[in-house]
Amino acid sequence: MELIERYLQAVGFWLPRQQKHDIIAELSADIHAQIEEREAGLGRKLTEAEVETVLKQRGHPLLVANRFLPQEHLIGPGLFPVYRFVLKIVALCYLIPWLLVWGGLMTFSPVYRAQQTSSSWFAAIASMWGSFFGTAFVVVGVLTIAFAVLERMQNRLHFFDRWNPSKLPPVRKPNLIPRGSSSVELAVNLLFIVWWAAYLHSPLVRIGSTVEISLNPQWIWFFWSYLLLALANAAFAAANLMHPFWTPSRAAFRLLSDALGAALFCWLLKATILAGIAIPNVASDKAAAITHAVNYWMATLFPAGIVVGLVLVAINVYRIVRLQSETEPVSA
Amino acid sequence: MNPDSFENLRLELRRGCLVLAVLAALRREQYGYTLRKTLAEHGLEIDEGTLYPLLRRLESQGLLASEWREEDKRKKRFYLLSAGGAEVLDQLLAEWRGIDSSIHQVLKEQDHGTD
Repeated sequence: MELIERYLQAVGFWLPRQQKHDIIAELSADIHAQIEEREAGLGRKLTEAEVETVLKQRGHPLLVANRFLPQEHLIGPGLFPVYRFVLKIVALCYLIPWLLVWGGLMTFSPVYRAQQTSSSWFAAIASMWGSFFGTAFVVVGVLTIAFAVLERMQNRLHFFDRWNPSKLPPVRKPNLIPRGSSSVELAVNLLFIVWWAAYLHSPLVRIGSTVEISLNPQWIWFFWSYLLLALANAAFAAANLMHPFWTPSRAAFRLLSDALGAALFCWLLKATILAGIAIPNVASDKAAAITHAVNYWMATLFPAGIVVGLVLVAINVYRIVRLQSETEPVSA
Repeated sequence: MNPDSFENLRLELRRGCLVLAVLAALRREQYGYTLRKTLAEHGLEIDEGTLYPLLRRLESQGLLASEWREEDKRKKRFYLLSAGGAEVLDQLLAEWRGIDSSIHQVLKEQDHGTD
């Protein structure tokens, strides 16, 4: 019957040449035996629709052939969780920031936006997507090849068998604030306070006895804001030294201080804060050009400042959510 | 309980048992289709997509021997347990009985514990 021949041909297409003839002959004998038995029971030949039902019950030709093939994989179950973990890290640390920087530049940098949308917004998005997809494709492709090679090496070298329990990382305590980092934070903040109060309390800053930097009158706001923030952070670090554990209120304070610090920094970048600079033996027009260049580059860094601020806020929000979920009772 | 979970566990449990059943049934020479029917008659349904690859695997391991012969005007491949296969079958049966007895003991101890 032609339908059976077509089915066997479709199965045979996926089978290795050396075994194909043998497997198809055996499968053919089995199908014919089943049909002959059905026909003997019914006392008539099966219709084409009935043969079709018999073949459908046996499964798709590819699946049937697949059962005869050796189990193969590019990345095995041992390495796959590591592969997925690395892909997540790449997405989190490279691809998502890449998108955020593009979004930040398009939102806050008129020059970049004008360059990108010179023809149309559609062209800008198409170009971004092409570039993003190309980058993601190469990164994922390279990682996949690297893991496939590792998988083959693992099959030969068995490096999963060579491990030592004593070399496993120590038990993670995500709510512990290491005293070392609190000490460093306290020292850095105290040094910053002394330096800030000693040298930057006035909008006229002298470097040595020759260079004079004039700051915008707005500077006084930045001065007091950063000074208060540093004092609060120093007090926070001291408290963490005494009781080195994250609590929801501490996490909320850290979110507030990081968000304030990031907002102030972004404002500073956009504030055209440098009013002038006086350097001996440098002409006034050249000094004005330096002032303009510094202000221009600070403004250009504004999108990057926004991205850094958002990342900091996201990390802090994640910490608060984690702490909240830990304190919630487990439902039955 | 999710019915799929039970089905997966049932299939997992049967998979090893099917090897034992196939080896035991092939102490008498049979071809694929009649072997499938024999197993089904004894309550061990096995689809051809599982049986034929299993037969080839067991043959490649030297546990079965096969030959093509004509019967009822159709060429069929007949399988028979090899000498090595008979030895492995005995070992597997001993293992099977051991597992059966262990499970019974565990169940018995727990029954006593709950009394």
